[in-house]
Amino acid sequence: MQNLGKDFGAFTALAEMDLTIGSGEFVALLGPSGCGKSTTMNMIAGMLDPSHGEIRFDGRNMNGVPMAKRGVGFVFQNYAIFTHMTVRDNLAYGLKSQGVGRAETNRRVGEIAELLQLTPMLDRKAAGLSVNILQRLAIGRSAVVEPAIFLLDEPLSNVDAAFRAVMRAELKSLQRQFKQTMVYVTHDQLEAMTMADRIAVMDHGKLLQVGTPLEVYNHPADTFVARFIGAPGMNLLKGRITGADTGLVADLGAAGHCPVRTGQGGDVLFGFRPEQVHPDANGPLQMIVTTVERIGARTILHLAAGDMTAKAVLDSETPVPDQGQPFRFALDADDVRLFDAETERAL
Amino acid sequence: MTDMTTDTLPDDAGDETALHGGAEERKLGFWLTLPAQLLVLFIALFPILMQVYISLTDWSPLDGIPWYQAYELWIGLLNYVDLANDPRFWSAMWRTCIVMAICVPVQFFLGLGLAILFVDDFRGKRVLYSTILVPMMVVPAVAGYMFFMLFQSGGPVNDILSFFAGRPVTIAWLSDPDLALFATIVSDIWQWTPLMFLILLAGMVSVPQDQQMAAVLLGASWTRRFFTIVLPRMKTIIIIAIAIRVIENFKVFDNFYIMTGGGPGVATETISIYIYKVTQQELIWGYVAAIALAILITLSVVSALAIKKLRGAQQ
Amino acid sequence: MASISFRNVTKRFGDIVAVDDVSLDIRDNAFFCLFGPPLSGKSTILKLILGLEQPDEGEILIDGRPVTHVSPAKRNVAMVFQNLALFPHMSALDNVRFPLVERREDPARIAARVAEVSEKLHIGHILHKPPAQLSGGERQRVAIARALVRDPVAYLMDDPISALDARLREETRVELRRIQREMGKTLVYVTHDQEEAMSVADGMAVFENGKVRQTGTPEDLYRSPNSTYVAGMLGSPAMNVVPMGLAPRMQVGTAPDRAESLGVRPENLRVGEGDMAEIVEVEPLGGFTTLGLTFEGTDLRATLRGQPKFTAGQKVGLTVDSGRAHFFDAGGAAIAAH
Repeated sequence: MQNLGKDFGAFTALAEMDLTIGSGEFVALLGPSGCGKSTTMNMIAGMLDPSHGEIRFDGRNMNGVPMAKRGVGFVFQNYAIFTHMTVRDNLAYGLKSQGVGRAETNRRVGEIAELLQLTPMLDRKAAGLSVNILQRLAIGRSAVVEPAIFLLDEPLSNVDAAFRAVMRAELKSLQRQFKQTMVYVTHDQLEAMTMADRIAVMDHGKLLQVGTPLEVYNHPADTFVARFIGAPGMNLLKGRITGADTGLVADLGAAGHCPVRTGQGGDVLFGFRPEQVHPDANGPLQMIVTTVERIGARTILHLAAGDMTAKAVLDSETPVPDQGQPFRFALDADDVRLFDAETERAL
Repeated sequence: MTDMTTDTLPDDAGDETALHGGAEERKLGFWLTLPAQLLVLFIALFPILMQVYISLTDWSPLDGIPWYQAYELWIGLLNYVDLANDPRFWSAMWRTCIVMAICVPVQFFLGLGLAILFVDDFRGKRVLYSTILVPMMVVPAVAGYMFFMLFQSGGPVNDILSFFAGRPVTIAWLSDPDLALFATIVSDIWQWTPLMFLILLAGMVSVPQDQQMAAVLLGASWTRRFFTIVLPRMKTIIIIAIAIRVIENFKVFDNFYIMTGGGPGVATETISIYIYKVTQQELIWGYVAAIALAILITLSVVSALAIKKLRGAQQ
Repeated sequence: MASISFRNVTKRFGDIVAVDDVSLDIRDNAFFCLFGPPLSGKSTILKLILGLEQPDEGEILIDGRPVTHVSPAKRNVAMVFQNLALFPHMSALDNVRFPLVERREDPARIAARVAEVSEKLHIGHILHKPPAQLSGGERQRVAIARALVRDPVAYLMDDPISALDARLREETRVELRRIQREMGKTLVYVTHDQEEAMSVADGMAVFENGKVRQTGTPEDLYRSPNSTYVAGMLGSPAMNVVPMGLAPRMQVGTAPDRAESLGVRPENLRVGEGDMAEIVEVEPLGGFTTLGLTFEGTDLRATLRGQPKFTAGQKVGLTVDSGRAHFFDAGGAAIAAH
C-alpha cells in the first residue's frame, strides 16, 4: 500500500479541506454531529460526489469512480450485517460478488475467520450474534476483499457504555493485525484519543486541526478544539495580559492574577487543563467550589468566580474544600494556553 | 398518580410477562373476557356448524320446513359423494386453478417489476403511483362492466387491433370459450396487480438501505444484490402477498359474472360462480353447503401451508 | 418525603427470578442509585416501588408503612421515563402542569406550583416552547418538572441520560444532582454507567442477577468493594485482579491467609524501574495515560497522571500503593487486610 491523499474543495457541508492520510494510518475524523465528518467519509466511499476538489487514492483521482470500484471497506454504524445469511456467506459475499473462484473464496474466508476467531460460528445465521462478534464480522467481511482503505462510521455509538471499552480495545487490535489504512468517524473524543494515530478535528464543515492525540490535546489550534478534546474539556477564562515589572501577568478578574510566559498585552482567553490544576494554599488563583463530584479515582471540582466557571480534576486522595468554600490553586506556566479573545485562535 | 400516561418501562428481566401481569392477573383476565370470547367463538363457528349440518341433508328452502328441521331430510354423506362425481364442480375447480395459476404469477411479476421501478425516485413518480393504484379502488362490479364494454366485438379492444392490423378485426372475445376466459383473466390482472405492487413495494422499501449499500461497496452487481439481499429479505412479504391473492382468487366473482355470466356455456365458470348458480338457480342448499365446506377445507390447507412457509421464512 | 425499604423481596416472572431476596433501605431525601448490568433486576425494583408489580415474597415499605396493597395512584411516587415521554404537541408549560390540570386543581394553585418548580429547575424562560425546540438537557428538566409538580413523596428515573452524548452527560449529571439537592426528595435512579452512578449518588446498590451484591456510598463501594464483582463494576479501567502468587513481587506486604487473588486499582499500580512486566500498550488520554501491561501472563492496566514517556515493549517494575491492595478469597469475596 502506498500513500493516499485526498483533497476537497468547498462543499455545502464541507468547506475547503486538505488532508493526506498515510498508508496504514488510523485517522479519526472527530467532531460534533453536523460537522461534516460523515459527508467527508461518504465522499471517500463514493456515496457522494464532491462539488469540487479531488479525492486521490495512491495519487489516482477517484472522482467519478463508482463506489464498487474504489476498493473501499465500509463498516456501517449498525454494521449492516446480512442477517439472513450465515457468517460464512457474509464473509464470502464480496469475493463471490467479484467473481473469485470457489476454492480461492473458501481459502480466504477460512483465513479471515481464523484471524478474527469466527471459525466456530461460520455456519451460524448472523442474526442474533452478539455485538462484538457482529463488529468482527463487519470488519472481516470488508477485510476479506482486501480494500485499499477502511472507513468506519461511528461503529461504537450503538454499543452499551459498559461494553464500549472492550470494543475499543478489540477494534484497535484488529487495526494492528490488518495494518490497514483506516478512517474512523466519531463524535466521542475518548474513542479518537485512545485509538487513532492522528485526529482530524472538524466543526461546521471545517477542518480545524490535524495531529496526534497528544498534539491536539496539548496544543489545540483554537478554543473549539480545546473544549472538545479532553474530559472535561479545557477551562477557558476571560483575561487580560498586562506587563508587570517581573514579567507578564494574566489578569483573570475575580479569579486572580496568574503569571504567563508569552503574549502581548490585551484581551485573551486563558486556557488550562482541569488535570493541570495544582491545589496550593498560596496559589495565585482562587475560585469558589460549586460542586464536588467524586468519581472513584478522581474528584472533579466545579469552580466559579464571577461569571467564569472552570473545573479541576484531582486525585481522590487529595483533600478538597467543601461546596461553597474557596479553592486556591496554582498552574504551571508551561501548561497555560492563550487564545485570541476575538478569533479564538491559539496565540 | 404516576406519570404512566404514555409509555412503559424499558427492558429488564421478564418484561414481556411483566407488562401483561403475573399468572394471577392473567387468570383474572381470562375469566373477565370469557363471555366476550364465547360470543366471538359462537359468531365465528355458528355459520360453519350450520353448513356442516345442512350439508348432511337434502334441505332446500323450497321444501317448506325450517332449516333446523332439516334432519328430516337426512341423507348422510350423499352430497359429498355426489360432489366427488360432479363433473361441473371439478371443471369449475380446475378452471379456478387455471385462473389462479395464470393470474397470481403474472400479478406477482408485474407487481415486482413496478415495485423495482418505484423504489427509486424519478420525475412524476407520485402521479404515476396514484394512477397505478386506481384499478384497485374500482368496485369489482364496475370493473367487470368496463371490461365487458372493452371486449365487445365492436369495442375498443377490437378497434385498436383493427388499427394495427390495418383491417377490421371482429374477435368475439366474450362468446368464444377460450377467449372469454382470457378476457376475464385480463380483467383480474388489471384490477389486482396494484395490490400486489403495493405490498411488494412496501416490502422492498423496508429492506435496510445500509445493507444494500454494504453490498455495493463489496462489489456486488445490481442483479446479485437483488437476488441475495433484496429478495431474501422480502420473503415474508412475498409469501403474504401470494397467499392473499391465491385465497382471493377462489373468490373471484363480480367481474367474471358481469362479463360473461360464467359462459359461454361453463367456459368461465369459476367455483364461486358455480356455487352462486347452484344456490340461486337450482336451490339445492344441502349440496351448496357441501361445496362450500369442500372449498373451506381447501383454503384452510392453502393458508396452513402459507403460514408454515411464513414461519420458516421468519425462523 | 419518604424513605423506601425492601424486606426480603422476591419477584419472579415464570422461571426467571428478576428480584431475588432483596433488602434495601433508601433513606429520606437520598439520591439512591440502582446500578448493575442490563437484566440484573434494577428496572423491576422501580416497578415494584411504583406498584406496577407486586412482590411474590417480602414486603415494601414507603415511609415505614407497608404498601403491598396500596394502588400505584395512592403511593404518590413519580417516574421520569428514559425517553422522557413528553407530549410533543404541547408547550413545556402545558407538559409541566398536565398532572395538576388533569386533577382539576385550582388554577391559581397550579400557577404557583408550576412557578415554584420551574424556578428550581431553571426552566422558567423556556416554558413557552414545545419540546421539539428544546435541547436534550432542557427536555430532561421539563420531564423532571412534570414529575415533581404534583409533589410526589419520591421520584424514580430509569437511565434518563444514557441517550445524550458524552459531553452533555457530564453536564447533565451535575445538574441532576443539584436539582435533587434543591428539591429535597428521595430519588431512585437506575443506571448502568459506573461513572454516572458514582458522580450523582449518595447511596447505591450494586445488582447482579436480581441480587444486591453491596450497598453503601459510592466512595465506600469504590474503596472497599466486598467482592471481585463489585470491584470490577466500579472504576474504569476496572480493578486488576491477579493471582496471589504474583503478590510478593509487587510488594504488597503481608496478605491474609485465605487470599487467593490480589486486587489493585489501575491508579494504585506504580510503574517504575525493573523488568517484571512488559508494556504492551500506551494509551495517552491527555490528562492521564493508561498503560496496558503483561506480568507473568496476566494482563494489567495502570493509570498514570500526565503524559509520562513510556513505549510499548518497554520492561518495567510494578509496585502497589501502600494500603491500597485488596484481597479476595477463592469465591471472590473480599477479605479485610490486616
